[in-house]
Amino acid sequence: MSKSETGLGWIEVSPDAIATIASQAAASTYGVVGIAPKNLANEVAHIFQRDARHGVEVRVQDGRVVIDVYVIVEYGTRIVSVATSIMDLVKFDVERALGVEVAQVNVHVEGLRISDPD
Amino acid sequence: MKEEQLLAEELFDHSPQPDQPLTVPTRGEKPVGRSRSAVLAVDGQGLKRLIEASLSWLRHHQAAINSLNVFPVPDGDTGTNMLLTMQSAWDEIADSPEQNVGVVAHSVAHGALMGARGNSGVILSQLWRGFARSLGNKQTFTVADLAQALQEASDTAYRGVIKPVEGTILTVAREAALAADQVTQQNGDLTVALDYIVGQTKQAVARTPSQLPVLAEAGVVDAGGQGLYVILEAMLRYLRGESISKNEDLEMAVDLKPVFPTGHMEQTHSDAFAPISAADDAGYGYDVQFIIVGQHLDVERIRQEIDAMGDSTMVVGDTERVKVHVHVPDPGVPISYGAGRGSLRDVVVEDMQAQYNEYILGRSSPPISSPVLPDQDILTVAVVSGDGLTRVFESLGVGKVIAGGQTMNPSTQELLDAVESLPAEKLIILPNNPNVIMAARQAAELSKKQVVVVPTRTVPQGIAALLALNYQADLADNERFMNAAADEVESGEITTATRSVELDGIRITQGDIIGLVNERLVASGPTVEHVLWPMLGKMDLAEREILTLYFGDGVEPEAAELLTVRIAERFPGQELELIDGGQPHYHYLLSVE
Repeated sequence: MSKSETGLGWIEVSPDAIATIASQAAASTYGVVGIAPKNLANEVAHIFQRDARHGVEVRVQDGRVVIDVYVIVEYGTRIVSVATSIMDLVKFDVERALGVEVAQVNVHVEGLRISDPD
Repeated sequence: MKEEQLLAEELFDHSPQPDQPLTVPTRGEKPVGRSRSAVLAVDGQGLKRLIEASLSWLRHHQAAINSLNVFPVPDGDTGTNMLLTMQSAWDEIADSPEQNVGVVAHSVAHGALMGARGNSGVILSQLWRGFARSLGNKQTFTVADLAQALQEASDTAYRGVIKPVEGTILTVAREAALAADQVTQQNGDLTVALDYIVGQTKQAVARTPSQLPVLAEAGVVDAGGQGLYVILEAMLRYLRGESISKNEDLEMAVDLKPVFPTGHMEQTHSDAFAPISAADDAGYGYDVQFIIVGQHLDVERIRQEIDAMGDSTMVVGDTERVKVHVHVPDPGVPISYGAGRGSLRDVVVEDMQAQYNEYILGRSSPPISSPVLPDQDILTVAVVSGDGLTRVFESLGVGKVIAGGQTMNPSTQELLDAVESLPAEKLIILPNNPNVIMAARQAAELSKKQVVVVPTRTVPQGIAALLALNYQADLADNERFMNAAADEVESGEITTATRSVELDGIRITQGDIIGLVNERLVASGPTVEHVLWPMLGKMDLAEREILTLYFGDGVEPEAAELLTVRIAERFPGQELELIDGGQPHYHYLLSVE
C-alpha cells in the first residue's frame, strides 16, 4: 500500500489501483500495440478474468512505487523512444490520477508486432 | 534566430544544378508570384529540397509548438522532438545525389526512424515510413502519387497504436490525406494541390480542441498536429518560392493562449503551470501580447530586455515583425518599450488576477481580453455593430467603438462625445457606413481636437484602414495611408431585401437574399449560395491574397463553416478566414485583400 498523510487523515492507494491506471496509460502510448502477459502461467491464471491490470506489476519498496509494464511494440518504430514515452505517460497519469509519486517505471518489451514488413 | 535566417537564405540561393531533370522550381527559375509555371512532378532532389524547407521552417516554429504541448504529457517538447526527428531524416539525405524520389523517401523514413524522439517523433517517423512505402521505387511523384502516399502515411501511423486518440497529429494526418484525395481529381499542379491540402490541414488543426477536451481546457491546438501543418506548409512555401524566414503563422500559433493552471495538472517547471497555492502576494499581474512592426529590429536584444521586465517571456520574429508575449505586474512597461521600437499591432492585455478569480469561481468563460489604448497621441473611433466585429476592432487597438450600422446610425453628438472622451488630441473616425460619414464629418468640425474622418463605407474597409494606422506617423500621413488601405479592399455584403425593387437591372422580391460588391447590387436569389458565387466572380479572387468572411448574428457557425468548405472546393488555392462578426442584418460580410 502507498500511504500519504493529509491534515484530516491518510490516503491509501492499493497497488491494484496503480496497476489499473498504469496499464491504461501503457496501452494508450503510441507505438504500443499490445500488453503482454508476464508469463504463461500468469496468463492462464488470468484467462477468465482479463482485468484492467493486465501486463503490469506494481511493487512498493520502502515507500517507493516501482511499476513494471510488459508490452508488445509495433515493429519499425524506434523502440527506445516508444519505451521512453511509456515511462513518461505511466508516471504522469499515475501521479496525476492518484497523487502517488512514482519512483521507477520499467518497460519490458516482450515482443514486436509486424504490421508492415518493410 | 540568426542561424535560422542564414539557413533559410542558403536554401533559396541554391542555383539549379545542370544535371538535374528537376521539376521543382529552384531560385534560378524565379518561381515567385503568380507567373510561376505548374509543378507536375517532384524527383529525388526535389523531395530533398522540400525536406530541407520543412526542417528550416520547423526550427522557426519549434518554441511555439513546444508551448502548445499539453497532451499526452505536458512536457513542452513536441516542437523539439519533431525538429530532431526531421534533422535526423535530413542528415540521411543531405549529401545524397539520388534522383529517384522513392529511394530518397526511404532514406528520409530511415533517418526519421533512427532519430525518432518522443511521442510525436515516433508518429512522424511512421508517417514517413508509410509515405516511402507508397512511393516504392518511383522516379518522381505527381499529385496522384502524393495523395496515395499521404493516405498510406496516415494508415501506417494509425496502425501503431491500440486506441487512436482523435484531436492529435493522427487526426491531422488523416485529414491531410483526405484533402489530397479530394484535390487529386482537379488539378495536376502540385503547388495548387498542396495549397489546398495545407489549407485543409490548417482547419483540421484548428478543430483539434473540439475533439480533445484537454486541449480546449488549456486553450491550445494540438502541438503535434501544428508541427505536421508546419512541415506541409514549408513545402508549399518552397514550391511558391516564398521566404521561410517570415513568421506570420508563428504569430498565429503563439496567439493561442498559454496554458492556464487547470488545477488537476500540477506542474512545477514554469510559472504558467504553478499550482494554485503558489500564487504569491503580488498576484498574477498582466498577460501582455503585441506585435512590433519596424525596421532592423534586433529580436535577441528585445527578448533580453522584455525578459528583464517579467516572466513567461516569449519573443519571436524577424527584423521587421516581432511578436512579444510576457507576464508583468505593470502592462505599461513593455507596451511603452515596444512603441519605442516601432509601431504596435494587435495589443492584447489580460488581467491574470481576474482570470484567476474567475477560475476560482468555477466559471469556464474565456479569459477577458481588454484592449489597451496604446500610449500614443493618435486614437481612433469606429462605428461598428455586433460583438464579434467589436472584438475584431478592439484587438486591432481601436480607441473606442460606437455601436451603429445600417439601421441605427449614431448621432453627431454620440460621435463627438466619443472623440472628446478619449485621452488624445488627434483622432481618426472610421464611419464604416456611407450613412455615418456625414455625422462623422460634423463631429470632426465641432470638436476642438484635431479630428480626421477616413470615409470608410464598409466594415472591411474600416478594418483595413485600422491595420494601416501607424502610430509613429503624423495625422495627415495616417489619413493618406488609411484611405489608400481602405481603397485596396473589395467589400461584399450579403443581406435580405427589405422591399421589392428593381435595381441595376436586377429584380428583387422582398425577402430575397441579395449580394452587394462595393455597395453595388450584384445578385439576388433564394439562398446565400445563389448570390455568393456571382459575387466572388466579381471580386477577382485570383488577384487577391485572402478572402475573409464575417458571419452575422443570425447565422449558425456550422452553416458558415460549411460555406467556407464550399468556397474552398471551388477555389482550392484561396486563403480563407472565417470570423464570427455577430453583426445584425448582414448574413455575411466579405472582404478580399
